Amino acid sequence: MSVLEIKSLTHSYTDGSPFINDAVSDVSFSVEKGEIIGIIGHTGSGKSTLVQHLNGLLKPTSGEILFESENIWQKPKEIRKIRSKVGLVFQYPEYQLFEETVFADIAFGPKNMGLSGDELTRQVEEICRLIGIKEEYYSKSPFDLSGGEKRRVAIAGVMAMKPEVIIFDEPTAGLDPKGREEITEIIKAYRESTGATVIIISHSMEDMAEIADKILVMNKGKLEMFDETDKVFSNGAHLKEIGLNVPTVTKVFEKLYDMGIDVEKDVFTVNKAVEILTELKGRDNNA
Amino acid sequence: MDNIIEIKNATYSYTDEGISHIALNNISLNIKKGSFTVILGHNGSGKSTLAKLLNGLNTPTSGDIIVDGMNTRDEEKELEIKRKVGLVFQNPDNQLIASIVEEDVAFGPENLGLEPEKIRECVDEALKSVGMYEFRKSTPHKLSGGQKQRIAIAGIIAMSPDVLVLDEPTAMLDPKGRAEIISTLHYLNKEKNITVVLITHYMEEAENADRVIVMNDGEIINDGKPEDIFQNVKQLKEVGLDVPQTTELLYALKQKGFKVNTKALSIEDTAKEIAKALK
Amino acid sequence: MLKDITIGQYYEGKSLLHKSDPRMKIIWLIALIVLIFLAQNMYALGFAAISVIIAIVISRVPIKMYLKNMKTILPILLFTAVINLFYGEGEVLFSLFGKINITDGGIYRSVFMALRILLFIFISSVLTYTTTPNDLTDAIESLLSPLKFIGLKSAVHTLAMMMTITLRFIPTLIEEAEKIMNAQKARGADLESGGLTKRVKALIPILVPLLISAVRRSYELAAAMECRCYNGGEGKTRMKKMRLSLIDLFLSLACIIIGAGIITLNILL
Repeated sequence: MSVLEIKSLTHSYTDGSPFINDAVSDVSFSVEKGEIIGIIGHTGSGKSTLVQHLNGLLKPTSGEILFESENIWQKPKEIRKIRSKVGLVFQYPEYQLFEETVFADIAFGPKNMGLSGDELTRQVEEICRLIGIKEEYYSKSPFDLSGGEKRRVAIAGVMAMKPEVIIFDEPTAGLDPKGREEITEIIKAYRESTGATVIIISHSMEDMAEIADKILVMNKGKLEMFDETDKVFSNGAHLKEIGLNVPTVTKVFEKLYDMGIDVEKDVFTVNKAVEILTELKGRDNNA
Repeated sequence: MDNIIEIKNATYSYTDEGISHIALNNISLNIKKGSFTVILGHNGSGKSTLAKLLNGLNTPTSGDIIVDGMNTRDEEKELEIKRKVGLVFQNPDNQLIASIVEEDVAFGPENLGLEPEKIRECVDEALKSVGMYEFRKSTPHKLSGGQKQRIAIAGIIAMSPDVLVLDEPTAMLDPKGRAEIISTLHYLNKEKNITVVLITHYMEEAENADRVIVMNDGEIINDGKPEDIFQNVKQLKEVGLDVPQTTELLYALKQKGFKVNTKALSIEDTAKEIAKALK
Repeated sequence: MLKDITIGQYYEGKSLLHKSDPRMKIIWLIALIVLIFLAQNMYALGFAAISVIIAIVISRVPIKMYLKNMKTILPILLFTAVINLFYGEGEVLFSLFGKINITDGGIYRSVFMALRILLFIFISSVLTYTTTPNDLTDAIESLLSPLKFIGLKSAVHTLAMMMTITLRFIPTLIEEAEKIMNAQKARGADLESGGLTKRVKALIPILVPLLISAVRRSYELAAAMECRCYNGGEGKTRMKKMRLSLIDLFLSLACIIIGAGIITLNILL
């Protein structure tokens, strides 16, 4: 069953605003429960505007968003409820921390959802355990943590609402390779334990290739492609046309293909590449 | 080639809530004039601390930093050292002072007390060298991250520095912005003969450098040409770094018995190596 | 809503007003504001209005930009107009609820006051649209420079630097406030309902991160300024020299004519 259905979503900004805004026009797609979707596109392609519609932060100019088959704007007064079901982690989420302790900050979301007492404590603790925030951190000030730790706490703040769909806007931006890996692990852990649907905006094609089931490509406010990851990356020429990249491994395979070597171009992870090349070598040697 | 910066046994420590931390431990390093050096390290490896020592923003707890013959401890030389060694930071938003591009770039030369005509010359030339001349009358907050960062670089270039030190200048940028910055830096290095010290944790940015230095826990653990540094996949991973995907692929193939030279870095060379090994 | 703020917005152009000396522009602005408030009757104010319109035309900034400012001040304008409606003498035109009399004098007064505020806003916008924030601060610094002789040199420079930085960071901080607001809303924060205390309390999750970020930015900015050889303004020069030109003489003359016109109309009619 589709958990989210987006039907001809259009959002235009009233002009005159001094900021760069990216509009979205006539975007339709649906997301199945438990999928991991990667969204790629330029800065200004409409990615951020798109995801802010999925939890009702922005209201569509026209079109509909259905969560579990129900229009999220059916009762505009209750739009806040959708935000616990569709969690959104913004870019650099550590800049939203404000409470005196790590625990209180993570509890902010669930508290807004009406949880209190033991139930609240249990839910916060559960998330902390899941993503490795140790108990000795609970009473620390979030501002005393390192950059990577702050981001972990901020992400926990959204996960603590136990959303069924969780969206990340460039979750690894600005982190070093180890930090990036840690965040990816957290996302995987949450998905495994809750079965949640995950949507990730990222600029790193290599990361997307590792994690996403499907890729959604945005270009100039329009949905350019939405397909299985290998299908999208095998369409390197199209991606390049709109100024996007393919993973480095895919580029190597494109080169090999051009050199007349018998390989497909839809290879996008190192593991897969090694597998294919080893097989190819074995075949050549036997022949 | 001459050394433009000499780091002699520099140690930097600070106390936080009564506990003493050593951010840099007895580092010695020379930067050659006209070179392009990349310093790699994870967050907290001491690379940012090092950047701030190079222009005298901080002085080492012990040891010395010599810039073109001047010790950064010498207060009389403070401004001259800051002019010679320009520092660019991660967040372009927090480096721009004025609301109009050209007026921002003029800030440095104005502080140096240059004549108005001379300032105009420096500003125009700096903006042209980073490819932002046509935006000289724009306001920074309407520009992209990469453009803003190029303006921050122009603001330093306008003071005609010998060395440009950049502390993770691309960390907050999208791939397009990152590519813009890296090509701008190579242009400045080749065409304007500016020594570049680029601090980063993106491995791909080190590919075309003359020299790569790897830092961990306040110490230099490796120093050499990029293709040699990346051979040490295990060491890099151990200190929380990565290798370019091309190296990773060649490394994995080699372990499977492919006869490939893992020193290839570019996509073209990698493909050639693989093709050769398949024959 | 936050995005509608247009303080210190410069509109690029090459008009006479863009080219004239910012110091003179500040002096003219002050003079014109005083004159607008000196205008006692509709004829004098009408004359002032024509002068403002001419200024708008020669600024060559699209009229759309000026009207955009109207949106923000509309409540003040309406409030002034309505209040003044009730304070007038003369012939009663009609009564509201049988009690409040609306007189022709009231209507006159209402229009007069609203027009006055409108002119005030428009003429101020002419200055901000045609002068870069930096030119503006430089001009203020220059106009205040006589204070240097009474030992306030660094105070004048600091004030100008503060203004420059403030103008530069207003859009950045507005953008940041919106981001934080959205992030907290995504965590279920309720910013739109409840009584006053609840609403004020709801601001904490926005103000705390905003403040922390502003402090962090200021540290980084200070380091960046130091790296660009900032030394508290000692020995600092300027790229742009402010120079009086024929344009300034011409426009000053125009200001004097406007002044004379308004005063004459005040006396004659």
